[in-house]
Amino acid sequence: MGEETKTKILREVRKDFLQELLAKGKRFDERELNEWRPVNVDKGVLPNAEGSALGEIGGTKVLAAVKFDVMTPFSDRPEEGVFMTGAEFVPFASPEFEAGPPRENAIEFARVVDRGIRSSEVINVKNFFIEEGKVLGLFLDLWVLDNTGNLMDTGALAACAALLDAKVPKIEDGKLIREESSGGLNMKYKPLNTSFIKVGNKFLMDPSKDEEYARDLRFTIGSVEGLITSIQKSGDSGLSKDDVMNLVDIAFEKSDELRKYL
Amino acid sequence: MIPGEIIWEQEMRVPNTVVVDGKTYATVLGMVREDRFIPLELVYRPKPGDNLVGVVTDVRHSGYSVDINLPHGGFISSKFTRVSFKQGDLIFGRIKFADEVGNVDITDAKRLPAGKLVDVPASKVPRIIGKKSSMLNVVRDGTGCSIFVGNNGYIWIGGKGNLQLALKTLDFIIENAHKHGLTDKVAEYLNEQGGNVTVPPREEAAPAAPAPTEERAPEPAEVSGLGAPVEETPDPAKEPITEDPAQVSEGEPVVEPPRAEAPEESDNPLMKGGSGIPEKKDKIDVDEM
Amino acid sequence: MEKPELIKDGKRLDGRGPKDLRSVRIEAGVLKEAQGSALVEWGGNKVIAGVYGPRECIPKHGADPYKAKLKVRYMMTPFCSKGEHSRSGPNRRSIEISKVMREAFEPVVMTKNFPRSQIEVYVEVIQAEGGTRVASLTAAAVALADAGIPMTDMVSAIAVGKLDGQLVVDLGKDEDNYGESDVPMAITHRDKQIVLLQMDGLLTREELAQSLDDGIEGADKVYELQAEALKKSYEKEERGKLNL
Repeated sequence: MGEETKTKILREVRKDFLQELLAKGKRFDERELNEWRPVNVDKGVLPNAEGSALGEIGGTKVLAAVKFDVMTPFSDRPEEGVFMTGAEFVPFASPEFEAGPPRENAIEFARVVDRGIRSSEVINVKNFFIEEGKVLGLFLDLWVLDNTGNLMDTGALAACAALLDAKVPKIEDGKLIREESSGGLNMKYKPLNTSFIKVGNKFLMDPSKDEEYARDLRFTIGSVEGLITSIQKSGDSGLSKDDVMNLVDIAFEKSDELRKYL
Repeated sequence: MIPGEIIWEQEMRVPNTVVVDGKTYATVLGMVREDRFIPLELVYRPKPGDNLVGVVTDVRHSGYSVDINLPHGGFISSKFTRVSFKQGDLIFGRIKFADEVGNVDITDAKRLPAGKLVDVPASKVPRIIGKKSSMLNVVRDGTGCSIFVGNNGYIWIGGKGNLQLALKTLDFIIENAHKHGLTDKVAEYLNEQGGNVTVPPREEAAPAAPAPTEERAPEPAEVSGLGAPVEETPDPAKEPITEDPAQVSEGEPVVEPPRAEAPEESDNPLMKGGSGIPEKKDKIDVDEM
Repeated sequence: MEKPELIKDGKRLDGRGPKDLRSVRIEAGVLKEAQGSALVEWGGNKVIAGVYGPRECIPKHGADPYKAKLKVRYMMTPFCSKGEHSRSGPNRRSIEISKVMREAFEPVVMTKNFPRSQIEVYVEVIQAEGGTRVASLTAAAVALADAGIPMTDMVSAIAVGKLDGQLVVDLGKDEDNYGESDVPMAITHRDKQIVLLQMDGLLTREELAQSLDDGIEGADKVYELQAEALKKSYEKEERGKLNL
């Protein structure tokens, strides 16, 4: 019996029961359908990094770190700096995570968080030009330490907090002086994600791991104050235009609640 | 006590300890109460007579493979059951036999209706059950839920009660598992949270009991023997009832496990049943040490 | 950069005496999902260890019929150092450290109790300042105990080094860079067995003997902190609180 088959069977077992419960408008932890679990943000937890934050929603913990380096620009954009996002699902974060190179879920996670930030234009890579052949690179790493559900939103929260915490090192003669800072990133917005899952015909926000077990689809909306920056639908089911528009309205409202923690 | 810490200056061959040069040391986190070593964290090892909650993962001619939250699967042999199961069925059964590698034969398997499957650390299970199921009865009374507890750490919660309250209460028990007088604290917690429960007066704490001299009698993990309300039984509309007497059916207590006479224990054994009770006269194989 | 004076008037760069450890903070049970976990903050190092098991051996044909397979993975995050962002994933150094860490635990973890299964230990170095392997090993030992994995003895780790010709305990980052020798070791508490020992640099026979004595003494101090952390984890209000 492979671990995967076992997981699938357990998923079905949990799904049937959750659907029954949701039909009565109930969640396992007594939350409303659109309600965050407890949220916490600790900024500046890693003095060695130029920016860092531990973001927590429910028990889910994502550590985000920002590092700057001087690097060679991409040949098609010689005057632009580089912004790169990496992610690791640390194997101790969940009994289902396995050691090894990032798999599709980890790659999707990094890319969805990256898109939300990139589209909001809070990082202006045009300002990262140093001199001919030298630009500044910003590396954003998302380390998932504990997964009790809803990585997408916790990841974006930690990422945004780490970027707000980041100090750009001073640059002299094309070299970084990490001990000295030339200021922060001056972000115009605070890009965040709000995720929903659909179980049966119900949508619920900030799913816990138990609820994710039962999901038919996940819908993640990246937003800044009043603008949509990214969308990701995943899972083997669909939704209507009305559903999408409803979720966008909820995401605007609920992501503002999250911004208060930043 | 932490692993490697000395418990007794003399040799005591009890579980979760190791004897070196005639002295006895802990191998897991635990505490000493009344001459017993009580583990606080423990890897569960299946023993005959233990109860299990599991999920049927494969149906074969010879029987059923069952996920029991352990390194090795459980198996219900067709020879030992007249019930037929299908993939995804939740079951409650008893360990008939566990080999040295950890493969487990399950007997007296019953199908459980749709319910919430929870996993908890197996080391906390004895505390969730309590002395003579006292804790479990309090949780059941306070929440109105039907609850089946497997020694393997899988717990099934169903019925018409307050599921959310039952889940919160389980968390509460796990967080406070090391504390004295936990049953009272749990009753208080349930009442605070809107449950309604009265705690039966506690029996006089028995003096430190002599260690059992033989293999521990099976400790029933559930519930219903003590008068489970009828409404806790599965809804027949959702769960097809077969003629099979082993099948869980309406109007009967959900499960009537054999209520063997367990030796009286002193109060506050963090590990009731399980391998936490030092069975001092037991022969323990070398691997255990 | 010029080599600074590493010992002045019997005091080291950060004011420590020769046998003083940096400040060490250990917490057990810092994660919700992992079966056992620990955070170790050791000077400027921050490491998190998490443990699962015994569980089904993957792949199945790799299972040992006589005992549990112990798997240990030590990893440096790409953002852990003050300097450049590095590549993520295992490299030759982390693979070697993972191996010697595993071999440090083999003598104490009671793997024979759990044939055909595996016990997994993962350590992530989220901040590095010299001495990450001993901090990682110390964290892993606490996480194993926190997971309820039976062990015949506790393991504690420490490094001893040589600075300006003098032996000192627990090298810091700068000391590590300029020191003449580095001897990381792991010691079982009761039997004082040396279960990990590496060395580089140059030492006389007498200096090595002294290093081991100092290391065993230092490991005892680490042990006290490990024991305290494990006992405290039960007083904790809520399991799974991570205070970085």
